Amino acid sequence: MDEDLARFAVQYGRNLGVQYCEARFHRTKEIACILKNGLVEPAVIDDAVGLGVRVLHQGALAFSSTNVLGKANIREAVSEAVKRARAARSLLRKKIRFSKEPAARRKWSAPEKRRIENVGVEKLLAELREIDHVAVKSGGGVKIPNRFHVLSASLEEKVYVNSEGTNLHSRVPRIQYYTYLTAVHGGQTAQRFFIKGETGGWEAYARMKLEEIIKHETKILRLLLTKAVKPPTGKIDVILAPEVSGIAAHESVGHPTEADRIIGREAAQAGESYLKPENVGMKIGSDQAYLSDDPTLPNSFGFYLFDDEGVAARKRALIQAGYIKELLHNRSTAYDFGLRSNASSRAVRFDREPIVRMGNTFVEPGDHTLDELLDDVEQGIYMKSFMEWNIDDKRLNQRYTGFEAYLIEKGELKGLVKGPVLEITTPGLWGSVDARGKEMGFFAGTCGKGEPMQGCPVWMGGPDVRLRKVTIGVRQ
Amino acid sequence: MKLAELSDFVLKSALKLGAKDVSAISTRSEHSMVRIANSSVSVVKRMLNIGLVVYLTRDRKRIVGSTSNPTPNAVRKFVSDLFKACGTLPSSRQYAPLPRGPFNYRSPSQYDSRITEHGEKLVDFAKEAVDASLKEGATRVAGALNAHDEQFFISTSGGARGSDHRTRILLNVRAFADSDASGQGLSCASRLDDFDPKEAGVTAGMLAKDAANPGVCEEGRYDLIMNSTVTGSTMNNVGSFASAFIVDAGLSFLANKLGSKVAAEILTLSDVTSSEDSIEGRVFDDEGVATGDKEIIGRGTLVGYLHNSTTAKIFKTKSTGNAGFIEPTPWNLIVEQGEYTLDEMVKEVKRGIYVTNNWYTRFQNYREGEYSTVPRDAAFIIENGEIKRPIAGIRISDTLPRLLLNIHAIGKERSWVKWWDEVATPTLCPALLIKDVPISRAAGVG
Repeated sequence: MDEDLARFAVQYGRNLGVQYCEARFHRTKEIACILKNGLVEPAVIDDAVGLGVRVLHQGALAFSSTNVLGKANIREAVSEAVKRARAARSLLRKKIRFSKEPAARRKWSAPEKRRIENVGVEKLLAELREIDHVAVKSGGGVKIPNRFHVLSASLEEKVYVNSEGTNLHSRVPRIQYYTYLTAVHGGQTAQRFFIKGETGGWEAYARMKLEEIIKHETKILRLLLTKAVKPPTGKIDVILAPEVSGIAAHESVGHPTEADRIIGREAAQAGESYLKPENVGMKIGSDQAYLSDDPTLPNSFGFYLFDDEGVAARKRALIQAGYIKELLHNRSTAYDFGLRSNASSRAVRFDREPIVRMGNTFVEPGDHTLDELLDDVEQGIYMKSFMEWNIDDKRLNQRYTGFEAYLIEKGELKGLVKGPVLEITTPGLWGSVDARGKEMGFFAGTCGKGEPMQGCPVWMGGPDVRLRKVTIGVRQ
Repeated sequence: MKLAELSDFVLKSALKLGAKDVSAISTRSEHSMVRIANSSVSVVKRMLNIGLVVYLTRDRKRIVGSTSNPTPNAVRKFVSDLFKACGTLPSSRQYAPLPRGPFNYRSPSQYDSRITEHGEKLVDFAKEAVDASLKEGATRVAGALNAHDEQFFISTSGGARGSDHRTRILLNVRAFADSDASGQGLSCASRLDDFDPKEAGVTAGMLAKDAANPGVCEEGRYDLIMNSTVTGSTMNNVGSFASAFIVDAGLSFLANKLGSKVAAEILTLSDVTSSEDSIEGRVFDDEGVATGDKEIIGRGTLVGYLHNSTTAKIFKTKSTGNAGFIEPTPWNLIVEQGEYTLDEMVKEVKRGIYVTNNWYTRFQNYREGEYSTVPRDAAFIIENGEIKRPIAGIRISDTLPRLLLNIHAIGKERSWVKWWDEVATPTLCPALLIKDVPISRAAGVG
């Protein structure tokens, strides 16, 4: 990674008279193997390296990138940014400014025991074959004819320099797995998709315990096709397990607390928010609603210690006792709100601008065991996992359709139910929380936002969360 | 190195190392963007990439690599590393040799040099769209204007050697009016003469104004009119499900349906590259096969899947010129036009909904096509043949097989649709009238 080129870009920007200039030398290298129905697809190696530059010039923000890394090309990239920033003035109704942040100089990395560079495609493929073998074996009397597995190892390295004296070097290795499993029985099908991911070296693979998970998921596929019954519908109690409380935290609290959405910057793409700038402090949930985002969680898929504007990462309390407490900010939104950035700015490749992103978003743990949460539920649903989900672009109207979900009767877990649908507003969901479990679970995701699209690694999670009297439907 | 030299260099290097099949595609892409929020430029961007994608095989082992470091030494090492990594893989039962030529490519026709030359002037187009929306009654406008210039050169061990050069300019305008009501307008073109930022701004502004103060819509079954944007989203999914790779993975409701009725007889959906106004008019696919026009669904019957040479081997057929090294994909989708104006469609509806945009389509079961999607921007209740009032907070919750079979009418006007990640494959779309579509809503919305 060439720090000199990044410094050269920043100095050149300063020579052109910009207010602010930053350069990010960014490399993302990934190797991946694919196994489809037990057969090997081509392995994939992707190595992207280049320089991304941002300038603030006369109140306009411009981003420019190149992967042709000679000094002449870098001069051209910076010049293009400045030229286009100048041209933007004819439609610049509001000048963009950045919050003041201290300069940082650090080398940081995600903890790594077994170097990711030593993982080859043959290793990934060998693990996929084991996983696939488990999937085939665990189907019982139900066939799993379609099995699509992808396992990848990646390394993200960055050198970040800005015109305010910040100089950061980082290294984040990651392991990621995802799968689509299709079970067939008696002319019916059932499908499961899930994704697991962590930062770390090859040791992260063992932590994910994929064989155990696959064994469990194939068992659920079998039971869904042979035993599951229609769920009760109407207003009942629902307990969301970590996979579902996590996605709900991500979609209906994490996204709408992104300050760039709140001020309308993503309006034509990922949308806006039910929150307005003045809504910090508004009550959105019950006294039991506590949600946070923390990029510094060890091993997390969304791990980082400094964001891509050079600001030190920290935990953010998004909702406390039902009140909106803090938003996710980059330096631009922080300036607009009269605050300091809380380090939410991330870019996934050299040719993407940094934008406001979540790190790892979760419901905070409570003090209940699952038995205690079940105890006084007369009739309800325990939704452990989901398949179909979506939410409107203000993050107010969401839907989660259960994959593994159980009937609760008189405080006890009964059999599997098929296709329970929780379609609910955000205040409806977080306002009905009356208790939280003490055991946490986290799930990986690739969060989509920005234009061009940036798929960003995150964790989502939480404990079991009990919702009182929410409306449950069923997939027709 | 020039793109042709780069691809030829990779081909030569890989063959010298002992590779059996090689396809090397070098690319140069220049992407300019103006993003708008609150009627003001939020960021301008320019991304310049030189890229190289290489597929190679040895002993029926297969690997794909891409690199963004095009210097000779780096490319030499990249090919060598790829070849070595390939050697560590097991042989593939699905291996199919790369198609062999001779290949005849048509001349690239979707290129307009003025699109790239407009780099700094793109802001003027954005301003035209914003001003048009505001004039129609919008209170604020967001959007993105993207201009692309892409060059490709392919060299394969099958004898393919050719270049492609295309441009496109894409505008997405989202206008907001009172009560955060919104409307979207698009303009998508491969040549500047077909690009109309003002019309996109007017459409967005008018829809936003008409959508102000939306009311509640009860759950139930409604006749649904999709405008071209929602048709584009729906047909993007159908096009993806027609990929033989997706079918083989068990992730398509079109599995085992070749020759069967999968849609109403009035629907014909094709993958087309030859049309001069198409947006992604590829000349050759990633394996060097000349692209061509083909029906996916013809008069309601599933005519064929999209193939590369590997899926063609699995399905015992020929490549359709849609490779992806791993996964075949559609290039441009075209829905054949129908006979209805929008007014005529509305008159057909007693109790219905008109939706003008959607997002966040997700599947409970890809094999069965069970899905839901969330309408966004302007949506309206239709009663007794008239558009009555705006609504919000609804969700389309259906299965794709049922939806396709329930298409009742197709519009005669069509427009190209491609925006953000929601409609990734450019699609020439009319409006559709679909009978009896389940509509749900979240408890408490409204």
